[in-house]
Amino acid sequence: MSTASPIASTRRSTELGLVIMAGSITGAAYTLASLGKNAEIPPIIVPFLIALLGVLLLAHIATRLLASGADATLLPLVALLNGLGYVMIARLNDRLARLQTTWTIVAVVAYVVTLLVVQRAADLARYKWTLFAVGAGLLLLPLVPGVGRTFGGARIWVRIGPVNFQPGEFSKIALAVFFAGYLAERRELIATGTWHIGPLRLPEPRHFLPILLAWGFSVVAMVGLKDLGASLLFFSLFVVMLWVATERTTYLVMGVVLFAGAAYTAWRLFANVQTRVAIWHDPWSQYEGKGYQIVQAMFALANGGAAGTGLGLGSPNKIPEVKNDFIFAAFGEELGLFGATAILIAFLLIIGAGFRVAIRSERPFEKILAVGLTTILGLQAFIIIGGVIRVVPLTGITLPFVSYGGSSLVANYVLLALLMRISDSTARRAGEVPDALTVGERFEARGAVRQVKRDVKRGANADREPR
Amino acid sequence: MNKKIRRLAVGLLVCYLVLFIQLNILQVAKQQELSADLRNDRQTIRDFNRTRGPIIAADGTVLARSVPVVNPDDSAKYQREYPLGDLFGNITGYYTFNFGSTQLERTHGAELSGTTSRQQVRALTNLLGEGDISGTVVTTLRPDVQQLAKDLLAGREGSVVVMVPSTGAVIAMYSFPSFDPNLVANHDTEEAANVLKFLTALPGKPLLANAYQERYMPGSSFKVITTATALQYGVTSLERAFPNETEFTPPQTNDPIRNYGGKACGGTMAEVFYRSCNIPFAQMAIELGPERMVGGTKAWGIGEAIPIDLPGAAASAFGEVSDFTDRLPLLAIGGFGQGSDVMVPLHMAMLASTIANGGEMMKPYVVDATLYHDGSVLERTDPEVWKTPIDPGTASTLTQLMIGVVNLGTGRSMQLANGVQAAAKTGTAQLNAAGEPQRSHAWIIGFAPAEAPQYAVSVVLKGTTDEISASTGGKLAGPVAKQIFDYLFAHPDPVPVAQSVSAATPAPPPVGSAQP
Repeated sequence: MSTASPIASTRRSTELGLVIMAGSITGAAYTLASLGKNAEIPPIIVPFLIALLGVLLLAHIATRLLASGADATLLPLVALLNGLGYVMIARLNDRLARLQTTWTIVAVVAYVVTLLVVQRAADLARYKWTLFAVGAGLLLLPLVPGVGRTFGGARIWVRIGPVNFQPGEFSKIALAVFFAGYLAERRELIATGTWHIGPLRLPEPRHFLPILLAWGFSVVAMVGLKDLGASLLFFSLFVVMLWVATERTTYLVMGVVLFAGAAYTAWRLFANVQTRVAIWHDPWSQYEGKGYQIVQAMFALANGGAAGTGLGLGSPNKIPEVKNDFIFAAFGEELGLFGATAILIAFLLIIGAGFRVAIRSERPFEKILAVGLTTILGLQAFIIIGGVIRVVPLTGITLPFVSYGGSSLVANYVLLALLMRISDSTARRAGEVPDALTVGERFEARGAVRQVKRDVKRGANADREPR
Repeated sequence: MNKKIRRLAVGLLVCYLVLFIQLNILQVAKQQELSADLRNDRQTIRDFNRTRGPIIAADGTVLARSVPVVNPDDSAKYQREYPLGDLFGNITGYYTFNFGSTQLERTHGAELSGTTSRQQVRALTNLLGEGDISGTVVTTLRPDVQQLAKDLLAGREGSVVVMVPSTGAVIAMYSFPSFDPNLVANHDTEEAANVLKFLTALPGKPLLANAYQERYMPGSSFKVITTATALQYGVTSLERAFPNETEFTPPQTNDPIRNYGGKACGGTMAEVFYRSCNIPFAQMAIELGPERMVGGTKAWGIGEAIPIDLPGAAASAFGEVSDFTDRLPLLAIGGFGQGSDVMVPLHMAMLASTIANGGEMMKPYVVDATLYHDGSVLERTDPEVWKTPIDPGTASTLTQLMIGVVNLGTGRSMQLANGVQAAAKTGTAQLNAAGEPQRSHAWIIGFAPAEAPQYAVSVVLKGTTDEISASTGGKLAGPVAKQIFDYLFAHPDPVPVAQSVSAATPAPPPVGSAQP
């Protein structure tokens, strides 16, 4: 790839500039936070910060080598969110900051490996059923006795040997790939319903099955794992992908109806759902109990006001679990309305970039997958931020790239790599970037050449057959 | 598909817009409300890490200040200190780490910590100066008069209010029992909690200021309002005479009303006022009728919370028209301050002030001004008229009647030194029903000098002891008011008082007996 095209080199230079900017903002934020009176960040964290910034630069170099035609804004936006999240985590708890550096390194390695392994976005479609099995297996893994762990009421953790992780974070990507593959193949069949039920025209039940399956997954997440956030995310993801792929609003309406039905039933049946809704509706009456967290988050936001207390000058540690689910409240307190809005805008820009990738691609599979992956990021951020600031009932999921946590960070970097790969593939097909054969393709080609040679040889021998 | 993707993008944009709107609601629109919530100590934590300005008396005596913490284990950098101990506890309030703040510490928290927008703007123009932008609250209070009030109450439950009739400025306002805010401001949360628990459980309710947060039956001191209303409506005049009677049976009952001590009482308007007969005032109340009588009390602000610049001020009460139309006997005894009447001691001082001020009732205030960190004035209180219940003519007639009380009647204990003429009205509010042991509050309200009033005073001694209950307003409350007036005229300028308490060595809190 030494013969990079002008377009590729412009994109990568832009990316480098923006990553450096994100790194500078992170560094400045870190300096401010360590000067703050209420935060005590030991100097030992500085090397960890440098490692983090270095690793982000590494991600850029990998992109230059492996996906030179990809969108220039996604990685810098992720770097900014990751960097700011890191500063906040360091300001909250320096022990976690060291771990978060490790997780970031692992996540960037996962990013590079994904770019290496998935050289053509279209290849993924071939493995959709494998990925379906992997996704479903990961989702259900916490239910396996002896492996699954319950924390904070949700059974979403898995412990294998010394490693704890949340398989749901990876499951959503695998299932998104599966669904994109499935829909790209059959979207016409699903869209042209031939099965009439009253005024509704539905596809044949066998085409319709996956939708019910998706609904089933979200019910499993809700009932089995008691993980409302994941349930909401899964289902919205599938409905959105189906709607975009088939271009039929009926599915969107049906999806909303199905979800509303499931949500109402869950509310009637499960005490923990009722509690969540009650806290959302009125956290004040349960200040001493389950409403404490959300009231403290509101206090934190109010304390921040428009301009914020300044990094290291607020009291975000008064909010339980501020390091993961409630990290947005910490930003709201210390960076104020301005800083919190900046984070919202960063997510909006990621959504915009993701959808731009989808729109630019001319292949249905890549288009649908890009929509799915972008929706995961956009919706997940909305659900957790909305939960923290009482727009929707609180559900425990992480804020992508910002919250503390290995599983979330690694999974989201894999997701980013897939988006970058789709973007890069489109650019190559459009001829913006010179394309070369991938290792796999070269291997296949060599096999084909050998075969041809063999055939030619055999043909030549046949020619020599005695007449 | 691209059309749907664009729509999806718009959908997500709307979702984020909702988040943005909610952020604005929480961080801007409801910011004050959420920050003021007592459970929200973030502001406090921030405040405790920087200096907070002092609350000072009119003469500059420090009533509250922040001092650097000596204890290295302490989580905060500054400790709030109240050098005069319990003397101003009910006015400064307390400023605590875990239990919020009260009174001036609460209402003027923004100025004290320098967070008002004007202070912030001033700080911006002063970037190179020192970081401390905390403001100062200057009160109208005189510690020497406050100390005298405390000494004169001598451990009896009650309160003393001294104010300037022409402005409404409060010079002294002491309630017993009071409390020492130093004990609550203690950073040792557990100890402070025990103190609060103990103070809350005490029967005298030291955390509530008798002077403006509680109300008591006024007894005969209320006759000022009945007389004023009757004068305004022409029901009585200085010329009217009342027969010498021992009993008066109001309509709707067979139960007669008697004078204090069951004596026969009567004479001219001036005589019945200074002798404090009950029957004439019951008759005037009946003659006025529920509507005019209730309207008369409302003209004085009875039924409304007193508009002092301190939180939690109580409202005096008389009753509504509907309470009396079928219960005229209640109206009759209300005419001389019994029955359903309850008055806030500060309001009684405002009554005296109104008469002294020619009929204009000023809004009472304790904060004279707030200052920027550099000492320039942030905001100064302008005296304001709250009510004008009577015209100057009625005010001067009432002054005549009240001079009579001091010279010839129940308030002779208020004859001041150096021939200064005072005007006053006494009150002895009977709390016990017939046949029960005697229980009464002792009241006096008054002002001096009568011809050009400078100060108005109200004194109440609660009927919590046999000594008080066996006596009268004139005998008990009168001497307290006299000494206050004599002191004020002898010392027109404040005299420094000794600082009795230092926060460095706080008195041991009365824990142990604190548990109810």
